[in-house]
Amino acid sequence: METKKLNKITALWIVAILVLFILSIILGIIMRLNQGELIKIQPPTFYADMTTHGVTMIGIWFVAGMAAVNYFMERYVKTSYTANMFAMVMTVIGVVMLWLSTLVGNFHAGWTFLYPLPFKIMWSTWATPLFLWSIGVFGIGWFVWTISLMAAMLKKYSMSQVLAWQHFGKKDPEVSTPPFVLISMISLIGVLTCLIAAVILLILLFAEYYSGGTFKNDALLIKNLTYFFGHTIANEMLYLGLAVIYELFPEVSGRPKLKTTWYVALAWNLTLFFVLAAFFHHLYMDFVQPEGLQIIGQLASYLASLPSSGVTVFSIIVVVFRNKINWSLTNSLFFIGIVGWVVGGVGAVIDATISNNFILHNTLWVPAHFHTYNAMGNVLFSLGFFHWFSKYATNHSLPDKYSFVKLAILIIGGVGFLLAFYIAGADSVPRRYSTYPKGLESAKTLAAVGGVFAIVYLTGILSFFVNISKRCLNVLFQRS
Amino acid sequence: MQQSLLSLFLILSGIIILVFILVYLSSIQSQPQQGMKNPLQKRFWFITIMVVVLGMFFFITIPKSPYYLYANEQPARIVHTVSSQFVFLMSNQDIDPAQPMGENIELNTNELVEFRVTSLDVTHGFGIYNDKYELVAQTQAMPGYVNKLRWKFSEPGKYYILCLEYCGSGHQVMKSFFNVK
Repeated sequence: METKKLNKITALWIVAILVLFILSIILGIIMRLNQGELIKIQPPTFYADMTTHGVTMIGIWFVAGMAAVNYFMERYVKTSYTANMFAMVMTVIGVVMLWLSTLVGNFHAGWTFLYPLPFKIMWSTWATPLFLWSIGVFGIGWFVWTISLMAAMLKKYSMSQVLAWQHFGKKDPEVSTPPFVLISMISLIGVLTCLIAAVILLILLFAEYYSGGTFKNDALLIKNLTYFFGHTIANEMLYLGLAVIYELFPEVSGRPKLKTTWYVALAWNLTLFFVLAAFFHHLYMDFVQPEGLQIIGQLASYLASLPSSGVTVFSIIVVVFRNKINWSLTNSLFFIGIVGWVVGGVGAVIDATISNNFILHNTLWVPAHFHTYNAMGNVLFSLGFFHWFSKYATNHSLPDKYSFVKLAILIIGGVGFLLAFYIAGADSVPRRYSTYPKGLESAKTLAAVGGVFAIVYLTGILSFFVNISKRCLNVLFQRS
Repeated sequence: MQQSLLSLFLILSGIIILVFILVYLSSIQSQPQQGMKNPLQKRFWFITIMVVVLGMFFFITIPKSPYYLYANEQPARIVHTVSSQFVFLMSNQDIDPAQPMGENIELNTNELVEFRVTSLDVTHGFGIYNDKYELVAQTQAMPGYVNKLRWKFSEPGKYYILCLEYCGSGHQVMKSFFNVK
């Protein structure tokens, strides 16, 4: 793909993602302020807002990872502009369909649209098929993009090379697989697998919807498929972000590129399997699920943390520890993002322990930990890339102004917002409640406090948005 | 218990943040390119410690999973529970899905109770809260399946049932109770 075309499509992704991110944060703030009884919206509106917030956030941070991976992939292999643009068009159409179904049609079955809730119509009848088709439209666009990137890599590397198997037992193999290529492929295999699960899920749901009541699904099977898709895509988007960090962190820090070694290759190959089996932890409280799968869920959730902490996090620490590096806003965002990712991981491992999940499942502990590794992890990975790209593509070499203040606002807002979730989770406050019943004493206050800190976090995001989007719009509309 | 988990989380998070701050400061203050000595060896020990710690947690916590609670005892009481948007019905007898009826439930302290939990429509959560609104036990209520939750209540008092799976626009008002004497 030509550099100019690549820059333009990447800039378009960044602006679209940031605009949708800001709108989705506002939806999130509305929810917390309503729970804190500082504003008042009706429950159906709250839940439609919640559904929009959830699907949009998952979607935009997934495509953010994909856009960044596509951008750097061009350094190694030739990627398809058509596939990238197709994914963009399908994502935009999907977002329009999604927002129409929720904000106009009032569809409010949650981002997990747990069967059979989408079919218990409490909204405009057309909203259910429109919502499901929006997921289908996203899926088609992302499926084509994923296949296209995988095919581009497999044109240059064999399957075993792209998975870095030649690094097992050899210190310097003839072909060295860059870590970026390895991690991207591992993540894309995971993405492809969960998109296939999504296709099966949608076929089953459509079969019931269009059968006129003659075909009924099995709730447990659909729940397994839903979380295989939902959990896996949420994890893979993090790994796409990590691929970018492997590529960019040493580069902007003035350090040598990270290399694939046998333990990096082994860790990422194992990660693929651990992540694909970890989704069972979403079904711990379904006691009819076979016990073996529940135990696999805890084991896989624990094991998934080993390669990520022992290899990825440790590699970043090795790059930084007692090394004079060029600190900039980009690698500061990456570094803080790694901290957010690890801390969120601790919250996740605690919740992925079955005996803890018994008293934490579906309390606010759950949004606490996934917001930690998203809002203070993955978002910072992508913001770091967006910031770097917007400067690099516009040859902007002036130092960043007010970096410390911007980071401080983001951290203060993020930590306050997250702590309100964790404390409420430990106080047994249920998640996904539009308002709280009497008796849950701390819930209302913590929601209001969380909402106020979320506004601070939004202020931090806006401070990044202004400069990044201005430069990206320049890339988009420059003629030569 | 939940407060202990919060403390554990805050302590671990504090240690992680401190380590990253120290790593950052070592970069700011260091002479050019001193680097980490024997990183491979340190990585090995780090992963080994992680494996040991997680392995210990795994083997200690798995037997405490709710599937094994009181598995070898006979329940003294069986409480049939049916959920539907947006009510819980509980009964000492089987509940007829065609004409679901509930009754007031009163349990004794320290008797083994088995809740047989299902749903007539969408998936709900069956979360048992004590009178201080602390979550003490839960399972899911799923259409077409019966989840069996065994529990002994050591404290008398009023216990509340809250829905812990999003089930539609009345999710937040779906609530019931029973007494333990």
